[in-house]
Amino acid sequence: MSFVIRMALREIRASWQRLLFFFVCIAVGVASIVAIRSVIQSVRQGLTREARAMTGADVVVRSDRPLGDEIRAAVQRERATGRVGTVSEAVELVTMVRPEGVATTRMVELRAVESSFPLYGTMTLQDKPYAHDLLRDHGVLVRPELLAQLNLRVGDDLLIGAQRFQIRGVIQSEPGRNLGAFSLGSRVFIDLADLPSTGLLSFGSRASYQLLLQVPSPPPLPGRRDPSLVLATELSKTFVNDFIGVRSYRQNEGRMNQNLSRAENYLSLVGLVVLILGGIGVSSVTRVFVQQKVRSIAILKCVGSSSRQVLAIYLTQVVLLGLAGSALGVAIAAGVLQLLPLFVGNIAALLQVDYGLTVGAVLQGLAVGVLVSLLFSVVPLLEVRNVKPSLLLRQDIPSLPQFDWLKWTVATAVGAALVGVAAWQAGSVQVGLLLSAGFVALTFVLHLAGVALIRAVQPLRFARSFALRQAVLHVARPGNQTRIILLAVGLGTFFILGVRALQVNLLQDFSVQVGDDAPDMFLMDIQTGQRAGLTALIDRENGAENAPKLIPVLRARITAVRGRDVNLESYEDVRGRGGLSREFTITYRPQLEANEKLVDGKWWDATPAADTPEVSIEESLRNRFNIQIGDEMRFDVLGRIVTARVTSFREVDFRDFRAGGFMIVFRPGPFDNAPHNFIAAVRGGKDPVARARLQGLIVADYPNISVIDLREVLDTIKTIVDNVTLAVTVVGALVLLSGSLILIGAVSMTKFRRVYEAAILKTLGASSRLIATMLLLEYGVLGAIAGTVGAAGAIALSWAVARYGLDLPWQPAPFLTIGGIIVTAGAVAAIGVLASLDVLRHKPLSTLRAE
Amino acid sequence: MIQLRNVSKTVQSGDHPLTILHPLDYTIQSGQFVAIVGPSGSGKSTLLGLLAGLDAPTTGQILIDGVDITTLTEDGLARLRGEKIGFVFQFFHLVPSLTAFENVLIPMEIAGRRDATARARQLVEEVGLSDRAHHYPSQLSGGEQQRIAIARALANDPPIVLADEPTGNLDSTSGRHIMDLLLNVRRSRASTLVLVTHDAELASLADTRLVLRDGRPVPQNETPRIVPAAEATR
Repeated sequence: MSFVIRMALREIRASWQRLLFFFVCIAVGVASIVAIRSVIQSVRQGLTREARAMTGADVVVRSDRPLGDEIRAAVQRERATGRVGTVSEAVELVTMVRPEGVATTRMVELRAVESSFPLYGTMTLQDKPYAHDLLRDHGVLVRPELLAQLNLRVGDDLLIGAQRFQIRGVIQSEPGRNLGAFSLGSRVFIDLADLPSTGLLSFGSRASYQLLLQVPSPPPLPGRRDPSLVLATELSKTFVNDFIGVRSYRQNEGRMNQNLSRAENYLSLVGLVVLILGGIGVSSVTRVFVQQKVRSIAILKCVGSSSRQVLAIYLTQVVLLGLAGSALGVAIAAGVLQLLPLFVGNIAALLQVDYGLTVGAVLQGLAVGVLVSLLFSVVPLLEVRNVKPSLLLRQDIPSLPQFDWLKWTVATAVGAALVGVAAWQAGSVQVGLLLSAGFVALTFVLHLAGVALIRAVQPLRFARSFALRQAVLHVARPGNQTRIILLAVGLGTFFILGVRALQVNLLQDFSVQVGDDAPDMFLMDIQTGQRAGLTALIDRENGAENAPKLIPVLRARITAVRGRDVNLESYEDVRGRGGLSREFTITYRPQLEANEKLVDGKWWDATPAADTPEVSIEESLRNRFNIQIGDEMRFDVLGRIVTARVTSFREVDFRDFRAGGFMIVFRPGPFDNAPHNFIAAVRGGKDPVARARLQGLIVADYPNISVIDLREVLDTIKTIVDNVTLAVTVVGALVLLSGSLILIGAVSMTKFRRVYEAAILKTLGASSRLIATMLLLEYGVLGAIAGTVGAAGAIALSWAVARYGLDLPWQPAPFLTIGGIIVTAGAVAAIGVLASLDVLRHKPLSTLRAE
Repeated sequence: MIQLRNVSKTVQSGDHPLTILHPLDYTIQSGQFVAIVGPSGSGKSTLLGLLAGLDAPTTGQILIDGVDITTLTEDGLARLRGEKIGFVFQFFHLVPSLTAFENVLIPMEIAGRRDATARARQLVEEVGLSDRAHHYPSQLSGGEQQRIAIARALANDPPIVLADEPTGNLDSTSGRHIMDLLLNVRRSRASTLVLVTHDAELASLADTRLVLRDGRPVPQNETPRIVPAAEATR
């Protein structure tokens, strides 16, 4: 055994430089896995530690409607029995704030709290400790960005709704704010007692009413469920049909943990893909390596070592190098984690996390790195068994190839093991299988496309230029690593171009939405009595030709279809199904809108509904719930039960939301006298000063109205798209980096052959320049083929995602595609020539003599 | 003792069989020095390779100390070579990634000898290359490489040393050096030495000569002057 290890070490000493690039590939893959897993595991540890503070209570009771007496009584009963300790009430809503006398407004997420807030965790202010007294008597706490946006200071006044508040402090961090939740505006805190004076809780306003409960915890006993979980389950069962959500912090913790571990597994698949790419490189280098080592293997066998020993030597070598590559990967990951706090400052403010390598992540990274190195090299290494020592005496006449059972058995086992590794990393057999199948399919397609393209350039063999002829011949030559380069570079190009193409499509679609003549501001929560005044104000500012369209909105739930009750087991169920029982925003009108298309049934005329109310349903709802024309549907519209007949189905283009996108539209009539709100789409124009002025005027006169600035929302969306694009581009760049490494490695592995050829050509009179041109053309052709394959894949990807995933009209991105191919070809040519500089430098005589 | 019984070798060349060695019976006594001579392509190296178990004969048996090596597996043959046979090639065949010293070391490491390092040092000294021991093969001259190869062949004290034109790729001075070394070895260890050579002078030193032509042994009395003929075909 010691002979095997000693020989393996000697072999590494001799050949590590040639194998270096491939083990750097392993390092890149391992680094991504270790870094991703470490970060998410650290965040998870932080979350588990802070779960109660994050939720801000043991149990949260939440509803979209004011909390009724029943639930309050129930909570009081629990308090009397001692199962509930402190109770703290809070209301959250989205509204507009503005400084007095200035025409600037901002949307904020307002939270009104009692003196017992926070039950858990700490509220941190920038300049002083938090105390509820700061809020008493119309005090407000704000985030620093709001001060900057509105140009205010602590001590200044801020108008919220109809009420003036004084800014008394700046929030640094608050407990209970959801990580990563989409936020409509910056947070402000006021006293719950001051909320009514703002007038914001008027009819139909969208607020979230909460009771935060503290549950005294008895000493934990094994086998007993957490009391907060028990209480949350009981309360949600009791109030199942009142649309009251009750959650324990344990559930939140569990859900976050689940989401995070899924995110961890999926994200580290990215690392696995990079690693597998590296593995493919390892496999190809091993094949060439064994070819080069045939003589040494024969000598070893000649002086008495068995096939098994020789195999063991090279397997040990692979394991040692795989381990070294993985260790390098861990070191890279550690470096990345050191730099991480520089980029995640804002998350760090919400949750204290120590970003460092976690033991689990490191072990997984090392294991996967070594496993992938070993799995990908074992099949080519089996060739050492077939090396006959007699080749030292004469070039053997090759024996007929026989079916090698062992090789195929091992190859099958390796395939199964790789699926296993993928499943392990994904944390799901299904995802593992899917990833493996996807990889095999993609490899197969890239391979086929590569073969087809290589064949397509073959006519160039008869080109007039000698260099070009040679280049084309070389690309098609067997053993030229063409396949591996195509695969590696093609995949990298595919990822990067695919994501870029998708981004172009997405952003184009958004920019179409905000044309100059399109409404770009939405007004929400307009009360019936405010309609005339508001219209007059906007006409005055904007001109009558741009009169806003007021759309009536009500909120409704579907409670039955065709007499069959849509039965609700629990609040969780409703949320889970995301289906019929959720609350819909509905409207009524006589006409179809421009973004709607009638697909079935008959649209009503302008006259109001006679006796039975009529309703039109969106196509997707129909399909999901199998609703048919003539069906009766029962709605709960703010407590009033309305039964309506389905008379038509519409297809709605939700991307064009100028007229709003409504799943459910009623024929005018039934709600004429019911209390309801309106929304309006207004043209604010491009000029930011005019827009700000209009917003300021509206909010000054009608404090309850919220203004959503579409241009701002689009900016936010653009930022999100940009961030996602950046993330995926990083992935593509990693893949491309591995691709380049494989390219460099492949070139240097086959260099010995080129050096020999170049020597012969030089003897026959070729100049270095001619040989350089040949190399440049060879790799240029190869790069162009890889780029074309990748770009074609990218077009297919972006088309499929746009068409089926995002439902966008697909647009080609010709400059991106052609530019991508050119850049790929250039890069591959440059890397290929640089990696072969030796070929040009070698003196022919020494090369030929050595052969 | 090495006994050949009806040993032949036929290979497939293109689509027709080609007999490199016709059935041959031959016995080499322990301690004997046998020179195998004959023109290129006469089957000399093939015969030597068969003796070392580097290749399997098409027919017949090869017995080394009474053991039929044609029945051994590939690994059994490897073990046999490790224990009983030292092989010296025309083209030296040192492992290029190992130093001269390590090349001498490996047969002993494979055999698991504890004194491997000390003995390797001694062997390298014996062939007069102590000062070059840590050079790689590419840094050594042909003669030096062949001396290392001989040291390697002797590593496990094999009773049989097989040499395939050991001087064929060397200049005459180096060649003489190598030959002296081999004869010295044979004398001091009393090992069996089987030598394939083109060199008449060398062949004349042997106890017995086996002359091959077109894969068949040529009776000795019919070819008193075989060597010039062999030289002529080179």
